[in-house]
Amino acid sequence: MTATAVLRPRARRLRPWRPWAGGVTPLSAQIAGTVLALLILAALTADLVRPVTSAIDLDAILVAPSLAHPFGTDDTGRDVLALSLQALQVSFTIAALAALVAVVIGLWVGVLAGALGGRVDGLLMRVVDFLSSQNHLLFGLLIVVLFRPALGPAGAVMLSVGLTHWLVVARIVRGELLSLRDRPFVAAAIGGGATLGRLVTRHYLPHLAPAVGVAMVLLLPHAIFHESALSFLGVGLPPHDPSLGNLIAAGQRSLLVGAWWVSLIPGLLILAASVAVGTLGEYWRDRHQPRWRGELEL
Amino acid sequence: MRPTGVVQDGWSSSQERAAVLSLREVSVEFATRRGPVTALSEVSLDLTPGSVHVVIGESGSGKSVLAHAVLDLLPRNVTVRGERHLAGTDLATADRRRWRELRSRHLAFIPQSPASALNPVRRLGPLMAEMARARGLSRREAWPAVEAALAGFDLDPDRIRRMYAHHLSGGMAQRVVSSLAMIGSPDVVIADEPTSGLDAALVDRTAGHLLTLAERGAALLVITHDLELAQRLGGTTSVLYASYLVEQRPTAALFTEPAHPYVTALLDARPQCGGRSIPGVAPELTALPDHCAFAARCQHVTDACRAAVPPPVAVPDGTVRCVLAGRA
Amino acid sequence: MTIGIPNRATARGTRRRERVRGVSALRIVVRRLLALPLVLFAVAAMTFLLVALSPFDPEAAYTSLSTGVSEQTRQEILAAWDLDGSIVEQFGHWLGNVVQGDLGHSRLLAGQPVADEIASRALLSLVLIVTALVLVLVGGLVLGVLAAAFRDSPLDWAVRTLAYYGAAAPSFWIGLLLLYVFSVHLGVLPSGGSIDVRSADAGFIDPAHLILPAVTLAVTQQSWFTLYVRDTLLEVLREDYVRYAEASGVRRAAVLGRHALPNALIPFITIAGTRLPELIGGAVLAETIFAWPGLGRLTVEAALVVDLPLLVAITLVGSVLVVFGNLAADLLYRLADPRIREGLT
Repeated sequence: MTATAVLRPRARRLRPWRPWAGGVTPLSAQIAGTVLALLILAALTADLVRPVTSAIDLDAILVAPSLAHPFGTDDTGRDVLALSLQALQVSFTIAALAALVAVVIGLWVGVLAGALGGRVDGLLMRVVDFLSSQNHLLFGLLIVVLFRPALGPAGAVMLSVGLTHWLVVARIVRGELLSLRDRPFVAAAIGGGATLGRLVTRHYLPHLAPAVGVAMVLLLPHAIFHESALSFLGVGLPPHDPSLGNLIAAGQRSLLVGAWWVSLIPGLLILAASVAVGTLGEYWRDRHQPRWRGELEL
Repeated sequence: MRPTGVVQDGWSSSQERAAVLSLREVSVEFATRRGPVTALSEVSLDLTPGSVHVVIGESGSGKSVLAHAVLDLLPRNVTVRGERHLAGTDLATADRRRWRELRSRHLAFIPQSPASALNPVRRLGPLMAEMARARGLSRREAWPAVEAALAGFDLDPDRIRRMYAHHLSGGMAQRVVSSLAMIGSPDVVIADEPTSGLDAALVDRTAGHLLTLAERGAALLVITHDLELAQRLGGTTSVLYASYLVEQRPTAALFTEPAHPYVTALLDARPQCGGRSIPGVAPELTALPDHCAFAARCQHVTDACRAAVPPPVAVPDGTVRCVLAGRA
Repeated sequence: MTIGIPNRATARGTRRRERVRGVSALRIVVRRLLALPLVLFAVAAMTFLLVALSPFDPEAAYTSLSTGVSEQTRQEILAAWDLDGSIVEQFGHWLGNVVQGDLGHSRLLAGQPVADEIASRALLSLVLIVTALVLVLVGGLVLGVLAAAFRDSPLDWAVRTLAYYGAAAPSFWIGLLLLYVFSVHLGVLPSGGSIDVRSADAGFIDPAHLILPAVTLAVTQQSWFTLYVRDTLLEVLREDYVRYAEASGVRRAAVLGRHALPNALIPFITIAGTRLPELIGGAVLAETIFAWPGLGRLTVEAALVVDLPLLVAITLVGSVLVVFGNLAADLLYRLADPRIREGLT
């Protein structure tokens, strides 16, 4: 509590909801940023670092972590570190595209609801509320199996994650739009006879950009999680394509014979990515847009 | 530098010995991100059993901090200096257990907004009985004591028992917390803005209730910005301005012949006295001047006022923190 | 004895309390139950719409197994699976059957009625989800309260850190780590199934088999809850009524447990209701890891062979569970906050 709160005892301090006291410090945000940068760098350079990435080596099946294989090998003798880096690349790409799908859908629904208002708004938000109350993994599963024959595994996963994650974006966009509508420059534009289309493209969308950008970044860990969950269940990417979920699933077989390292590294990478993105997103949000706290608690 | 070690001889030694609550040059400082904030500067006061002491001041003058310093309700980023004695205990040395004991046996607190001080999800019967037990009563004694206290404030215990806080009107909530303050005959009752949000008739009734507490032997410390209430309560009044206690004298004398220029100006600002507001604004607590805090707004300002913070000066019936005090 | 002038708001509040009590809870139940068919209809319609919009061709999928069939056989197969007619007709037909208690026939299970299979599996999933829910609520409450009570202490720090990482880590990965540590490495807990097949008198569910799947299912949500409870409690601890109780000499433990906690429970209940769907999704993963023969595993099996009647039915069961979860939350909410009970807020 600060001094002013005591001096004016009636002024209740409204604190943004934060999982850890004191909020995200600049230091932890820096660490998170570094971790994320390293992960992205690792994903980008996966092919350069280990040229012999997916070489099957039947003489080195399930080798425990050693100097030659810092994180061991899997049940076909492939190097887990190299596989994990490749998987990072695959999973990050799919997650980013899936988040993009979610943002595009969410943006349109949010803009429609916010700009048109009235009944359209009411109806769309009803739909959003209804969909949020349903389990998105079950629907994600259904979408993947329905679209896999036509779009291929990767496309179906992207669509599935996108179609189940746009609700948050729609809520944020609508909220932002409603507050934009009250701003003087919008009133001036309406007074000047701007059409709805012009309002949206010239006035609304540019101001929505930061919100949408942050929402997309915060969606990334969720998209990674969903991609890996679907792959883990066997309905995502084909079993031999390295994705983080597939690696973890492959590790389950090895786990039963005592090889813990195959699942460990890909899981740690998901954890690191999701903590880093979460920390950065929270840091940014607390500094710039405390209003989104309710919506962004994904 | 502020002068220290000024001898305060405004109180006789017999009063000092009888005092149940005594503060000696108590300062409270908050450590904030923007640097230290002084919320209370070298405030001294004594309360004897059955006496009434009113602390008045504008918002931000430090009067609530004073109450919180006695109740140990200050947040953690706070340093308290000076001596605080309550019922023979040096408050600086009291641990958590001793504090609880002091709060339950010796202190009673009447909070600023009674309606929000009563738990919204609990029935008042069990809630009040529990509070009574916290005040040292046994399980069997608790409810009868609450009943007696409620009846003393014209409330029907059987009805109150089944109610929730949101069923109470402002006046009823006020009477409920006042009745809780009577349970266990506390030595000191601290009321923080007991009349905020009440209409004139209820203010009068509340003042009556508070005086009843004093009649029963409790020392009463009332924090308020309501000058009418201060006058109605009588006793001694302390006026706080920008964390300093500027004048401490019997209430009647203070209201008829204020000694400090700020108090004079404050009384003149009342509507019935013409409503002349004081020019300027009070200094920020983050940037208190190194001289008299009122100098910038004072009509009688002299060079001495800007030289140093004036020490409290003893006048026949109290103390005044002004270089002009006792000269006229 | 006089009571003073009865305040209008008070009189109204009291009157309403006496009038509405008892009715209101019933009304919550009735409202939710009336909404249930609507919710189910919407979920089913959405699923059929999804199928219609998708490039997936059930006709091809169902007839492709038997190549070179005559047109007549093809029609018979389609009719047998209710795939003849437009998607709207199919939906109408399906709906008609559902109203009569027939959820269709499963392709995965060689044409068995879907309803029978679901009924036999649902109980196992329910046991798992309820156990996990209890773990989530009890664990979240205990750890959250401890962290708040010893705020900024090492204990608080440990609870917060663990919870933060627990909420961020993929639950199926945590499940695998638990599997490795407790069944492979230590060998103290079974690695899969719901009963001990070696024992002759194996009952319905063996508690030892329940531990790992339930913990796996609980861990993500529980971490989240712990952080939420801690934060809500710290928020409530700043309220006037808590500080007043403290200033009146109420013991610290009682301040926390009797004054702060009942108020912190109110947002907690709301959140608990909205997090139930997450547990259903988590059950799919937990059941797959530990070979728990519940609905979650059935879902994955059905998904792998695109068994639409079964998938739709499972989705509906999930929605029913969500509706009942919300109903429970509404009732608890009403119980926790007298102001809700009286319809004041």
